[in-house]
Amino acid sequence: MSPEIKTSVIGSYPIHIDGMELMSKYFDQTEISWKKYIKNAVSDMIAAGIDIISDGQTRDPFVQIFTRKFKGCRIRERTEIIGKIEYNDPITIDDQKYTRSLIPDNVELIGLITGPYTLTKSCVDLFYNDEKEIAFDFAYGLQQEANALQEYVDIISIDEPFFSMGIPDYGKELIEIITKDISCPTRLHVCGDISEVIPEVLDMPVDILSHEFKASPHLFNSFKEYSVSKKICVGAVRSDDPRIESVDEIVDHIRKAFDVFGEQIVQLAPDCGQRMLSKNVAFQKLKNLVMAGEKIKWQRKKFH
Amino acid sequence: MFSFTKNQEVFDISGVHIGGQPGIYPTVLFGGLFFKGEPNFDDAKNELKKMMTLSEKTGNPAIPDFFIKKEEDIEDIINFIEKTLPKNYPFSVDITDPSIKVKILECLHEKKMLSRTIYNSIHVGITDEEKLTLEKYTPDAAIIVAFNPKDKSPDGKIEVLENGAHLTDKGLLDIAKEIGIKKILIDTAALAPGENSGASIAAIPVIKEEYGLPAGCAIHNVVEKSKWLDNFGVARKIVDAASNITINIFGGDYAIFGPIANSDIVFPIMAWNDILISEYTENYFGVSPVDSHPRRKFRP
Repeated sequence: MSPEIKTSVIGSYPIHIDGMELMSKYFDQTEISWKKYIKNAVSDMIAAGIDIISDGQTRDPFVQIFTRKFKGCRIRERTEIIGKIEYNDPITIDDQKYTRSLIPDNVELIGLITGPYTLTKSCVDLFYNDEKEIAFDFAYGLQQEANALQEYVDIISIDEPFFSMGIPDYGKELIEIITKDISCPTRLHVCGDISEVIPEVLDMPVDILSHEFKASPHLFNSFKEYSVSKKICVGAVRSDDPRIESVDEIVDHIRKAFDVFGEQIVQLAPDCGQRMLSKNVAFQKLKNLVMAGEKIKWQRKKFH
Repeated sequence: MFSFTKNQEVFDISGVHIGGQPGIYPTVLFGGLFFKGEPNFDDAKNELKKMMTLSEKTGNPAIPDFFIKKEEDIEDIINFIEKTLPKNYPFSVDITDPSIKVKILECLHEKKMLSRTIYNSIHVGITDEEKLTLEKYTPDAAIIVAFNPKDKSPDGKIEVLENGAHLTDKGLLDIAKEIGIKKILIDTAALAPGENSGASIAAIPVIKEEYGLPAGCAIHNVVEKSKWLDNFGVARKIVDAASNITINIFGGDYAIFGPIANSDIVFPIMAWNDILISEYTENYFGVSPVDSHPRRKFRP
């Protein structure tokens, strides 16, 4: 892969959690470790050849990973907010430290933060009666997590899928709270059809924008209407479809992305987290993504 | 001492009543047999007799909880239950290995004993084969272990009942209901010292208030793991037995109290505590104990 374009992931990776194994630990009253599952996800990402990997978000869905640890939240069918939201203890740091210990020096690590607006929209409010206040309390909590996280990762990605349905007028402020003291590169991932919110997204205080261009290829046309100065992570394989895209299909897709974004492209990734796919399919998609990236690199070298 | 606003279910499991508002029904006591996986049927017969006598004396119902660890023991243990326990007397089968669970259900079905069986237990390790077998051979009652490896607090236990904590495709309560189990008992999953062990007791009133289902746990397991007690001689057995009073004082309906050999201490302690609770709940909440309650037996 050329130094300027790297393959990456958005976050989650599908790992089978063995409930009986966890219960055996309960019956024996011995400590439960999640390392096996993290290692399983990380090994696949490394074996596929991904340049910037995550811890696989194997513990929980991306909302519950955070709400499980915030004060003021409790998890029922959805997360319920029952008190003031406050940062309690580090949420993802231990897993990131462990992930770092597993990866070779030439592989980078991405720290994942589920955005405050998405957390707000995913919870049932039984306490605040004020969505904006919830979002800001989440943002200040996530700020503490991000500040701690930057010591252990190479890049921090904020996942805000709910922005695709409309960004509140305080949306930029929420992201700014998290990124303002971060010295490593930052990425904002907004999946879904973002054609209606492109101007606001382009104005976000992050270095890289990441979107699901494979499932929503019409976004290429939508972006053509704007001057894009931000770096771009191109969603190049679908996360909601088990069909494995061929290397050539991915290459064609990336070429289209180059027509729109040119040198602004710095990352190639799946459209979204891969949790909903089977492990084999997720792995093969990553492998093909890497091979497509290599092909693009070779073609671009030849062209230059 | 509690009175719950949620209507409390009382299940009749082959003649043993379990559940309800605190102070009405005596705490049901599960005594374990064959935990080490080497059944000694002569000893077991004696211990069972002793436990049944204590149960009659105190009024606290006794449920023998049979650990079955090896496939080759299934038939012998089930035959022993059939021959030794009074006709239609309820019992529980306590099994961890999913493949053994399946075989035991088949065996209990063949012997027409499912109507007196408490299945111990359904949890996040349930397999598809186990589910299918339970649907085919459904026991009268089942214990759900509300163990959530992601969150050991009472909220975590509710979560695993509600949605399986994303470790099962649905909540454990829905799984049990879809299987067709009508009488569900919740085990609040006692954990080792240092692992939020008190949460299993705190969860009892939370779960009863949320679902109205009978709740209890094996709190004595926490004592077993408290190695520091080894320095206090005979205290270990007393603490082990006494730990069970945390269950009924927090509104719980049953205690899985460990080795049946501890019956001699556990039954009087639990009866004493049931009397204490009943006196208060009758005076304050106006609920009266049933005729079989220890308070009726030992009225001063």
